[in-house]
Amino acid sequence: MSLETDQIVRFERVSKTYGERNEMAALDAVDLVICRGTRVAVMGPSGSGKSTLLNLVCGLDTPTSGAVIFDGINLAERSDDDRTRLRREKIGMIFQTFNLLPTLTGVENVALPLRLKGMRTGEAEKKARSMLKRVGIIGQSGNRPDEMSGGERQRVAIARALVFEPPVLLADEPTGNLDSHTGDEILGLMDDLHNEYNTTILLVTHNEAAAAHCQRRLTLLDGRIVADVGE
Amino acid sequence: MTGALLQITTRQWRQHRLRVTLTIMGVALGVAVFFAIQTTNITLVDSLHSMIEKLAGKATIQIVAGDAGFSEEYLKTVRATPGVDLSEPVTETTATAVSLGNEKLLVLGLDTSSELKIYSDMYTDGGLVVKNPLVFASRADSIAVSRKFAARFGLKDGDKLILETQTGTQNLTIRGFFDSAGASDVFGGNLAVMDIYAAQDAFGKGKRIDRIDVMNAGGVTVDELQRRLTEQLPSGIKAVRPDLRGQSLENSISSMHLALTIMSFLAFIICAFLIFNSFSISLNQRSKEIGILRSLGVTRGNIMRMFLAEAVVVGLIGSAAGVAGGYFLAKGALAVVMDVTTTVYGFTSSPRVIEFNYTFAAEAFLAGVVVSMIAAWLPANAAARLDPVAALHNIETQKRESIAGKPRLMAGIALILLGLVLTRLSTIGVDGNIQLVNGLFILFGMILVLPKLIQIGAKLIRPVMNLVFGAEGLIAVETLVRAPRRTSSTVGALMIGLAFVLSNGALIYSQKAAINRSLDKALGADILVTSSEQLQSRTYHFTDETAKRITSLPEIETSSNLRVTTVDYGGDEVTILAHDMNAYFKMSPDLLDSGDPETARAVTSKGEGVLISNNLGLRFHLGVGDRIKIESPGGTLDLPIVGMLDYFRSEKGTIFLDRSLYQKYWNDTDVDYVFINLKPGVDRAAFKQKVQAAINNDRNAYIYTHDEYKQWATRLIDQLFSLMYLQMVVAIFVAALGLMNTMVISVDERKRELGIFRAIGGFKRQVVKMVLLEAVVISLIGLAAGTIAGLLNAYFLVTTAARVVAGFTLRFYFPVSIVFIAIPIVIVIAIFSAWLPAMRAARLNVVEAIGYE
Repeated sequence: MSLETDQIVRFERVSKTYGERNEMAALDAVDLVICRGTRVAVMGPSGSGKSTLLNLVCGLDTPTSGAVIFDGINLAERSDDDRTRLRREKIGMIFQTFNLLPTLTGVENVALPLRLKGMRTGEAEKKARSMLKRVGIIGQSGNRPDEMSGGERQRVAIARALVFEPPVLLADEPTGNLDSHTGDEILGLMDDLHNEYNTTILLVTHNEAAAAHCQRRLTLLDGRIVADVGE
Repeated sequence: MTGALLQITTRQWRQHRLRVTLTIMGVALGVAVFFAIQTTNITLVDSLHSMIEKLAGKATIQIVAGDAGFSEEYLKTVRATPGVDLSEPVTETTATAVSLGNEKLLVLGLDTSSELKIYSDMYTDGGLVVKNPLVFASRADSIAVSRKFAARFGLKDGDKLILETQTGTQNLTIRGFFDSAGASDVFGGNLAVMDIYAAQDAFGKGKRIDRIDVMNAGGVTVDELQRRLTEQLPSGIKAVRPDLRGQSLENSISSMHLALTIMSFLAFIICAFLIFNSFSISLNQRSKEIGILRSLGVTRGNIMRMFLAEAVVVGLIGSAAGVAGGYFLAKGALAVVMDVTTTVYGFTSSPRVIEFNYTFAAEAFLAGVVVSMIAAWLPANAAARLDPVAALHNIETQKRESIAGKPRLMAGIALILLGLVLTRLSTIGVDGNIQLVNGLFILFGMILVLPKLIQIGAKLIRPVMNLVFGAEGLIAVETLVRAPRRTSSTVGALMIGLAFVLSNGALIYSQKAAINRSLDKALGADILVTSSEQLQSRTYHFTDETAKRITSLPEIETSSNLRVTTVDYGGDEVTILAHDMNAYFKMSPDLLDSGDPETARAVTSKGEGVLISNNLGLRFHLGVGDRIKIESPGGTLDLPIVGMLDYFRSEKGTIFLDRSLYQKYWNDTDVDYVFINLKPGVDRAAFKQKVQAAINNDRNAYIYTHDEYKQWATRLIDQLFSLMYLQMVVAIFVAALGLMNTMVISVDERKRELGIFRAIGGFKRQVVKMVLLEAVVISLIGLAAGTIAGLLNAYFLVTTAARVVAGFTLRFYFPVSIVFIAIPIVIVIAIFSAWLPAMRAARLNVVEAIGYE
């Protein structure tokens, strides 16, 4: 495998500023390469640019300058539809606040990305059930999020993120809203899934214990990478 | 604290400008419709009153006998009655000035040889300004016109004025002018005066006059004089106060008033739903904020007051805008109402300028504010009772609302059943307003069962949406199920609007079917020649001579002349149809619903009995075999009822009698319709031309074949129902506004959900599809609920309302076809209403939306 094809995400002097006069820099000329199959923890205090980095990776946001290359594609050069399609096919996302659709049941939430891709309901829900079984909450498949515990909701979120077997999983504080025991379970589950699917994981966290699950650890401060351990 | 809460509220408003604007628009529309209708109603009534009162001058009593008039012989009787100071005979005719572009002109026949003191207020400068009074009185072609009219057409003394009258074209000469003061706005100033004898001759009135204006002498009260005159005159000739004459006209258009009033209340009900909806959503949007406020020590009472204060502000702004808009809306509505009054009821009153009525404005304004507060009361109360802990939770943890509980459902069903039973058991004697309560029971019952209906509807539609529209369809259905409060109020507004449309549709459909049936039975003629293109003309008729010229045509096998007039019966203006009964029965052998046709023909044609319409029978508890007393200028007719039939010309009732009897008692030989059956093989088109030639191309003759007349009648019904069509448009418009508001709110409320949807790979167009589908599903459920409510309400309208208002017994038809036609229309309205919110949803910043609280 060449060096180029081994890279799944590359940041080339990426800056992201906010405000009318671009006075607030969330990321400042960041260079970064993430290889396939690696687990990377992104750490840093609040406002250091962690979430911005994640939003740029998945194309939800575009850089003010520089280029974000995802699997060889410069995201800034692509349309909103192209970036959406990329998320739909290659990126799974897990959020601290779970972000399940409250109107849908567990299985419907998990099947949603597949159905958005055009898969038939029956087939999508069959795959979704299998994924729910894999994450250990098949019993909750018919329940809606308001009928589940925090840990169960996060498992459903993980199942939804991985049901289409994306090469990249972005996790933004996935254990932030969970107790330590449930958090450990979720991290263990992510380890297992990483081993099973060889998914690249970008994990934003404040939690040292969570970061310990990753091979590489980036530390951000004021929009710059100030430490990159285990590269 | 008030300042802080006010600041929070104003910030909310700034943040949700579109929602607030739509809510204010809803209030404004409700107030505008209410104000416009009340203003239109009063303007119309004022117009009728003022025409009578202004033309009456200083008269304190008027002697009248319906639009047929009465013999001038009674002038002597009146003048001989003690207590009469002044009395003036009057004829009143509307003529067409053919030399002035067919302008309509109200021509009064007055005794110009008298001083006309009664009218000294009406005409300035002491009365008519006539260059040569002697010539004016002695020449039959003299006419005086108002200066306003003369100025408009540049008419000078000695100019010719060619009028089309019922005796043909009259070449008149202008020999006088008057400055109409009080009467200046009567008929828009299109007013003329002729000497009464010349007018009688020119307009074929013979020795008949239309009224006598009387002024009481000092020392005799009006009531006393009225009593004396009533004693002296035959019972069919009434001595009435001019203001009460106006009241009688007002009564004859009462059902139109009722329809207009219902429309204005309906607009308010839908508007209340809109406000309720908006505030419910505001509550949902602000639940976290309320939780924070409560945790900071703000009391339940403060929260409640904060919401109600918001409602008051919405009400104040909306009501102010509504009153302003209503003033302009009234101008348009008045034109429609005037048209209906002229065509259907035959009253030609001068179009008046809409005047700003401060009392109505204040009422409408207050009603807008009060309705806003009432509609906001429940959401405000819910906001005050919100559990702060739950309110502070995230969207996934918020419990689903449940308003489809069993007690509510049972109460709803009970109300519907109560309304239906009362409707079924109600008799015509029950007051109309009480009957309306039956309809309201059904409506409120439907509102209570609505959440359950939505649940059922969503359950049924969910798999279909999932199958046809995929995940977007599924989410659309689930979204509306998850917010039953929001959905219920929107579906409720749609339901009321659509129920109104469908039930009115059912009423119109049932009425049209009944009228068609009635026309088939009562209109056996091949050709009809009428003197007016309106249902009833009170001022223009054929002379007997004109009718004879038509009926003497050799192609005719049978003909029957008909005179249409009105008579006071039981305080109502009942229609008299004076037919040549023998010929009429020959033409329409299946005329009767009850009574023996042969006996009825024989008895009525001899003038020894009458037929009556079923609605008159129902309203006055009359049946075949009963006797009916009819007051005529020639005395009281006391005749047996020998037959009854469905006849829908008059909502007050119709009496059929022989024309010879009518001529004798009313001393009136005029004709309004000529019914003709042609000999076999006669070409109808050619015959129509022959009729036209026979009456010297009289401009005011309208010749119809049987089918053409039926088509004309259908058009007339449509015009009569034009107000209802207008109501339907208003109802749908307000409901669409509600839907738009709901979708704006739905998008605002679901920003985070939509953000998640986009984050996990949903395209913008899929978001648009999802929002549009939600609107479509809400609308379709609204249509389904509206169909059920419409069916129930139609039962009420057809079974009860039609009977109570007009005594019409209609067969119940529900226009299923309208429901099917409504489906695509409702979908288009839904898409149209949701388009803007859908676009807003698609433009959502995903990163912000995911972090949205």
